[in-house]
Amino acid sequence: MKYLILGASAAGLSAAGAIRRHDPRGEITVLSRDSQIYSRCLLPDVLAGKRGAASTCFITEDFMQKNRLNWAAGSIAARLLPEEKAVVADNGDKLYYDKLLIATGASSILPPVENIRRGRQIYGLRNLDDVSAIAGAAENCLQAVIMGGGLVGVDAAAALNEKGLSVTVVEVADRILSLQLDQKAAGRYEALFRDRGIEIITGEMVSKIVLDKKENVAGVQLKGGRLIPCGLVVAATGVKPDISFLEGTAVEVGRGIRVNEYQETSYPDIYAAGDVCESMETFTGKITTTPIWSLAVMQGKIAGTNMAGVRRKAAGNFAYKNSMTFFGLAAVSFGLPEAPDSSYETYILERAGSYEKIIIKDGRLKGAILQGDISRAGVLGALIREDYPVKVAPDKLFDLNYACFFRELENGEFTYQDEALTSK
Amino acid sequence: MMMKRIFIKPELCEGCKNCQVACLAEHSPSRSVWFVNLSDQSSQPRNYVELNNEGRPVPLSCRQCDEPECVSACVSGALQRDPATCLVVHNQKQCAGCWMCVMSCPYGMILPDARESKIAVKCDFCADRGTPRCVEACPTGAISLIEAPSPDTDGEYYVLTGGEQQ
Repeated sequence: MKYLILGASAAGLSAAGAIRRHDPRGEITVLSRDSQIYSRCLLPDVLAGKRGAASTCFITEDFMQKNRLNWAAGSIAARLLPEEKAVVADNGDKLYYDKLLIATGASSILPPVENIRRGRQIYGLRNLDDVSAIAGAAENCLQAVIMGGGLVGVDAAAALNEKGLSVTVVEVADRILSLQLDQKAAGRYEALFRDRGIEIITGEMVSKIVLDKKENVAGVQLKGGRLIPCGLVVAATGVKPDISFLEGTAVEVGRGIRVNEYQETSYPDIYAAGDVCESMETFTGKITTTPIWSLAVMQGKIAGTNMAGVRRKAAGNFAYKNSMTFFGLAAVSFGLPEAPDSSYETYILERAGSYEKIIIKDGRLKGAILQGDISRAGVLGALIREDYPVKVAPDKLFDLNYACFFRELENGEFTYQDEALTSK
Repeated sequence: MMMKRIFIKPELCEGCKNCQVACLAEHSPSRSVWFVNLSDQSSQPRNYVELNNEGRPVPLSCRQCDEPECVSACVSGALQRDPATCLVVHNQKQCAGCWMCVMSCPYGMILPDARESKIAVKCDFCADRGTPRCVEACPTGAISLIEAPSPDTDGEYYVLTGGEQQ
């Protein structure tokens, strides 16, 4: 059996491991643009100089050898030929497969802003190359503008601030981290950022990148008219799945590659996992992309297991969870950051530097924010994901812990009620 | 293969918190209950006893899950499942303090370190002792060691980090 995996990040390598477990003899090839294995989530730390690029490797050194993976590094899929069961790489190589996994991830989007494709010092923060490029540009300027105040933008802002640059974040929503946090929690971060000298501009957007004659970035112009001088722009306005090489094939795509609970695409013997795919997300009950590390690992493992001929369904495909920490303040959030209407009850507690918020509907948790003390946050996340009754009085909500739900299996593992959290 | 797991019988728990003190001492510089500095937050128990809805104490500790969610959530590779012992081990040097594990453990058994909140801490099963110290310290038998079958899991990073499993 010949397996071909496109992509060498969380989903691709998780799948490779799962395939090898179930098929000791198959031939596994991994094709990746990257020639180094690294964790994207740690790139802000590399940019800030807190971690070397080498220590972002999330697998053991001998992983490739132990699992006998042929690693074709430095090239990407240019075309898929599903009838021939082959992938043409951008270096011209034609790779044949019996089972294909697409785990190509996603790329930064450049928003439609004047000059954004012409300016030289404009980068996403997605790949290790981006980090070197941003760090290089940061050497030659004093000011940076971050387009987008989501997790990536805010990470980039903190990292560049630690490098000593003067940083401005421009966010179109009324607050930073608006998908993850409510006004109060976001406001606490905004205050921390401002204390550090980072400027946060909300309710605004960049309308134009100002360039000098050599197309170097000289500043950005905001819609409201203000001109902010800078020598570096980081575009952190979202990502899009890397699916362009599927053009003209019958593989069904929406925003990402559509997969079922076995991570199968609409085309036989082709699977997809991680940021590149869209699947049934448990919290919303909708088909969405699920760009979360842990889900990439889970989906990759499910894909690999099924590719190797062992049927297993994805479980716990819950994408509405975030953890973060900026300047020493940690936060975890799940589900809804705000109650959408009056059928939800909201409980808030502030104590000892912590802000905690819980949103409940019909006795079930629908949203939670913990900022400051995040210990035992996972219990709240599990209750939301499992749609499990909260069972405690409102005054006990903020001390929720697993003692209230305790159930132990014969082998000593825990579970929530009768159903194990992860399908076995 | 078989692994060791701490089995909990909450009906035997008297809520004495000896297990918590034992864990605290074991993870303090002196390792001694006598000399442990209770105000030094770098000594931090990784287990705890909590009251359930009926007000009864329940001693809780990491399950060393067969398919640990903390491990699949770990973006740095700091958390791995040791193929030899089936324990979930945490490499503090590699930890990025991103709290993905804290967010992901359904039972709340991995926590930010109390002093600096920079890295996660979890039960290490008292790696260099034969029996975890909490188990030794329990006077009622509410927590004890069992041998549990650990299935031939495709344990996510189990394989990723540990190579092939026979």
